[in-house]
Amino acid sequence: MTKTASLRLEGLCRRIGERAILDGINLEVAAGECLALLGPSGCGKSTVLRVIAGLDPCDEGRILLDGRDITHRPPARRRVAMVFQSYALYPHLSVERNLTLGMELRGVPPEQREQELAAVLELLQLGGLRRRRPAQLSGGQRQRVALARALLRKPQLMLLDEPMSNLDAQLREELRPQLRAILSGGRAPAIHVTHDQQEAMGIADRIAVLHDGRLQQCGTPRELYHHPANLFVAGFIGRPQINLLPQDDGTVVGIRPEHLVAVDSGGVPVRVRSREWHGASQQLLLESAQGPLRWTCDGNQEIGEELRLGWEPRHEHRFREASGERLGSPGRHA
Amino acid sequence: MRGGTRTALVALLLLWSLGPMLWQLYTSLRTPEALLAGAGGLAGGWTLANYGAVLGGDPPFWRYLLNSTVVGALSTLLTLALAIPCAYALSRRRGLLRLLVGGGLLAAAVFPYVLLFLALLQVARQLGLANSLLALCLPYAGLQLPLAVLLLQAAFAELPPELEESAVLEGFSLWQRLRWILLPLMGPAVVSTGLLVFLFSWNEFPIALTWISRSELLTLAPAMARIAGSSVYTVPYGAFAAATVLGSVPLLALLLLFQRQIVAGLTQGAIKG
Repeated sequence: MTKTASLRLEGLCRRIGERAILDGINLEVAAGECLALLGPSGCGKSTVLRVIAGLDPCDEGRILLDGRDITHRPPARRRVAMVFQSYALYPHLSVERNLTLGMELRGVPPEQREQELAAVLELLQLGGLRRRRPAQLSGGQRQRVALARALLRKPQLMLLDEPMSNLDAQLREELRPQLRAILSGGRAPAIHVTHDQQEAMGIADRIAVLHDGRLQQCGTPRELYHHPANLFVAGFIGRPQINLLPQDDGTVVGIRPEHLVAVDSGGVPVRVRSREWHGASQQLLLESAQGPLRWTCDGNQEIGEELRLGWEPRHEHRFREASGERLGSPGRHA
Repeated sequence: MRGGTRTALVALLLLWSLGPMLWQLYTSLRTPEALLAGAGGLAGGWTLANYGAVLGGDPPFWRYLLNSTVVGALSTLLTLALAIPCAYALSRRRGLLRLLVGGGLLAAAVFPYVLLFLALLQVARQLGLANSLLALCLPYAGLQLPLAVLLLQAAFAELPPELEESAVLEGFSLWQRLRWILLPLMGPAVVSTGLLVFLFSWNEFPIALTWISRSELLTLAPAMARIAGSSVYTVPYGAFAAATVLGSVPLLALLLLFQRQIVAGLTQGAIKG
């Protein structure tokens, strides 16, 4: 019944007064694909969702859903479903009414309503909760109800605004594969906004990194990790943060903490400043002539007093210091 | 000791607010002779004659109660019907317009309406609105509208915007959003605003006095003033007190009925829901 659709954003701009919240965003999300919008808070990622949904006006550019221009269509007619960060469940209605009210008002016949409700309750394991009020649900249950309500909209596009940020870390980890399964099970494209790169990497097929209202890079998690397009992406993707070593020729060399290796001769002499041991791995903060260095190594690695670190040239990233853009050919990973 | 002080304070507060009402109740049940005799004997002098006199008058007292109820209910409905859309629109506005409209409404709400009643009387004469209960609803609704809009728009503004946005994306129309999402959540605010309007029209005196002259159309306040001033030589304390008691019974019933909503409405925003 739902035709597969793809979403295309062309030069999307949104301004408040003089300030550009979004500055020429171009993006494409294929049918059935899940794209994560990743960026620090205040980068405009939630605004992208709101503009696509029609909740915020679009000052310039076009939004194409399935080839049709929906830029100026009223939000109710876009067939876009959104899961809000607060879930926005109707607090005065039971889970069941939360899910069926929309169908009822859209004129879905009762038998079909009952059928679809049963299907979605089953899919999201909400069967036992149908008579409860939102206030009587846990965070994870509320999130599932919000997701169920969005699915019942039969959307041509699914938008999720930080759906995990109200959950504790353990629950988030448990729910991630579930969410991924549900999102990739649908044929509608999905956009998932988050500031948590682990969540983005765990759920999304591709990640678009946003900063100051501009799109920095869009690609698979591997592309972003191995070929960051600029200093911002390099610093934002990967934990602990990449080591950035300014050079004399106006370039910056980036080397990920996990790509540093202890060497016997050559390399950079360092001194240990602090050490965190995590079992399988350990994080070290080191002092070197070129500034502080972060190093991630095996938990069994012996750390001596005198230490020299080096790295393979293929792991090296080079950026122009002034503009931040990437220089030269990237490594061999694709 | 602290518990004892607290109980005493609460008792004092209750006495302070309930005292006049209890006194009226006492007065209404006493014969005129017993009232004048002072605290002499509580054993005798009790009577229901005051109620008999008030209820058996011409027109009977229940007629005034009915008039006031009709005027109060219609004024309340009219006010809410106008104030809810206004308040919604105002709460969805930002910036200067909202500030100006809000300021204007506040000024109108605190304006002493007694200063208007002569002008309103002229309006009633010109438009032939005198001696009509329905027409009385117009000034009542008009005078209470600013306050009602202010109260309701604060309640609208307190609802999280995502609730409505979520309904918008689900395809709800404006009316459907109000009917199914916003108004049910604003129940306490709507009830307490409605009660304020009802109270106002129940107690209103100068406009009712000047617009209505036919005795069978009088509302409670001017009717009671007539009872008090019915004789040049004596003040019928007993009958007056009986009328007061009868006039406050419907209000007490309303308050008891909506007690929960009123308390919820008054404390709205105090804690996150």
